[in-house]
Amino acid sequence: MSTATNIPRNAPLQTPQDWSEMQYDRGVQKIFMDRFEKFGSTQTRENAWQPHHSLHRPPPPGQLTLSALVASGAHFGHSPSLLNPNFIPYAYGTRAGVTIIDLDQTLPLLRRAANLTRAVAARGGTVVFLGSRPDIRGAVKKAAERMGDRQSYYVGEKWLPGTLTNRLHLFGPRILNRTRVIPDLMIILNPLQNMPAIRECAIEHIPTIGIIDSNVDPRIIMYPIPANDESTRTAELVSGVLSIAGREGVELWKQEETRRLLERNSNETKRNERRRREAEEENYQIGHDGGSKL
Amino acid sequence: MASIAFSSRRFTIPVQNVLRRSYATTSGSFVPPAAQQDVMHAPRRRILPNPESKTFYTGRAAFYDYVSSLELAIHHTRTKLKQLHLTPLPEFALKSLPPLVPVWKSKNDLSTSLSTKLSAARHRRLIELLNQLNDFRRIAQTAGHADLGLGLTNILEVFERDDKEEHLRRGIRKPVVLDQYGRSYTLGKRKTSSARVWMISSQHAVESKIQAGATPSPPTTEIIVNNKPLSSYFPMPADRERILFPFKITGLLGAYNVFSITRGGGTSGQSGAVAHGIAKGLAAHVPDVALILRRAKLLRRDPRMVERKKTGLAKARKAYAWVKR
Repeated sequence: MSTATNIPRNAPLQTPQDWSEMQYDRGVQKIFMDRFEKFGSTQTRENAWQPHHSLHRPPPPGQLTLSALVASGAHFGHSPSLLNPNFIPYAYGTRAGVTIIDLDQTLPLLRRAANLTRAVAARGGTVVFLGSRPDIRGAVKKAAERMGDRQSYYVGEKWLPGTLTNRLHLFGPRILNRTRVIPDLMIILNPLQNMPAIRECAIEHIPTIGIIDSNVDPRIIMYPIPANDESTRTAELVSGVLSIAGREGVELWKQEETRRLLERNSNETKRNERRRREAEEENYQIGHDGGSKL
Repeated sequence: MASIAFSSRRFTIPVQNVLRRSYATTSGSFVPPAAQQDVMHAPRRRILPNPESKTFYTGRAAFYDYVSSLELAIHHTRTKLKQLHLTPLPEFALKSLPPLVPVWKSKNDLSTSLSTKLSAARHRRLIELLNQLNDFRRIAQTAGHADLGLGLTNILEVFERDDKEEHLRRGIRKPVVLDQYGRSYTLGKRKTSSARVWMISSQHAVESKIQAGATPSPPTTEIIVNNKPLSSYFPMPADRERILFPFKITGLLGAYNVFSITRGGGTSGQSGAVAHGIAKGLAAHVPDVALILRRAKLLRRDPRMVERKKTGLAKARKAYAWVKR
């Protein structure tokens, strides 16, 4: 499709005009493909599942299904020899050398965690998403961004021990005097690698939500979600569900704030009205009596 | 088996206003929340705002904010390039791109500019992102999208060296220019000798002689060193050969006249220095022969210098006679 017939199609590009021609050729090819894509299979890019949907299009908590959990591989635990005895109530059994986690229990626990996140956010609380592996870094960032401006935070790297208990040294008295540092909820996607964070939450009385695998004691986390902590898709699903619930909570908080603001304004106007009327009455009475009533 | 090892050491709290802990025993009697629904509470003494940055709890908010902005820029640029059909590029287009020469600030300079202490790992992460953006900028500029390239330049110039142009120019020799009379002026060095060499086309000399009234003759190379002709100043044939070698291998014998002033060293050093100057001058007059001269290593300043004498040895390498006892 090159305009010059004697230059081969895959010749190295020298001038900006060569580049423009290449772009034009590719654009023409794309239009061609788009036009004929409609014929044939009804499955298109729009209605087929893409791998990035687990990160960018998580299901809302109300529409979460067991099959979504199974599809993300949440039921795969670790080897039965590493099974923590306190995890046994959440284990379904063993198959193919791995512990299978009972997703019939995971689903209501995940929805409970979502309700908690929504409730915390609806009362103006702050939520921190913690996921220190490189593959779940994107998930925690996306989850924090989904929840809005000043109520959600994320830590995609190693949690610095002492962030909460040694905050005076880490942040300095200036920031501590001006900012509310202790969060209201901590969501940990890989608790086994973040034991210092869990310990600090316990010391500072911060509730925690976490993905508990079969080799982990569920009692370390306040609201455990028994699931596979090594799967990226499971982490994306869980953080997505919780962040959508959090977003709903943020909406409720904003509505509450505006309502309170309007109420305060209307109370103030009522108060001012009342004061004005009282002052008028006084003046009227003073005028008639010829002296103060007090 | 996971188990928490709670520290048994008593946690000591400094007496500061900023750290106030509430214990169950200090707050008085417990009233369940359900009974407090209609009660109006006094407002809390201090309602502090929440932290601003989303990466506050990393402890290095400034750095991770930079990282997230760069990642966002990369995402937007990749989307834009995809729309323009410039990403992913086929093999032949990738080969047509000019080489990427990133000139980033050093780790310490970056730490100062970004006001965050950079560890080696964090610095490496930042440089990876910058290289990715730099690559996109190269593609945009080569394909003729100046506005996109300019936008990327605005982002990247914060991280580039201040003396970027100078840094890229280092190692590149200043080009030799011919003056108004067509003469080249070059410097040659060998051992401890240096030679200042002027070269002019011998055609010019022939024409000036014809104007002066002499009979026309084919052009010849005349070489004057320290006001003496070549044969007088360098009696050794090896030195003369060394000086004429650049002319011979380029086939330009007879094309240029040479005037040189040499100082320092001895005969072979001075002849080598003149030869070096002549080679540079020939490359200036006729750029095409530069390749031949470079292959023959005539444009290279010979780095061999007299080796120093060492202690315990008679000369640089000569050892004293070995004695059994």
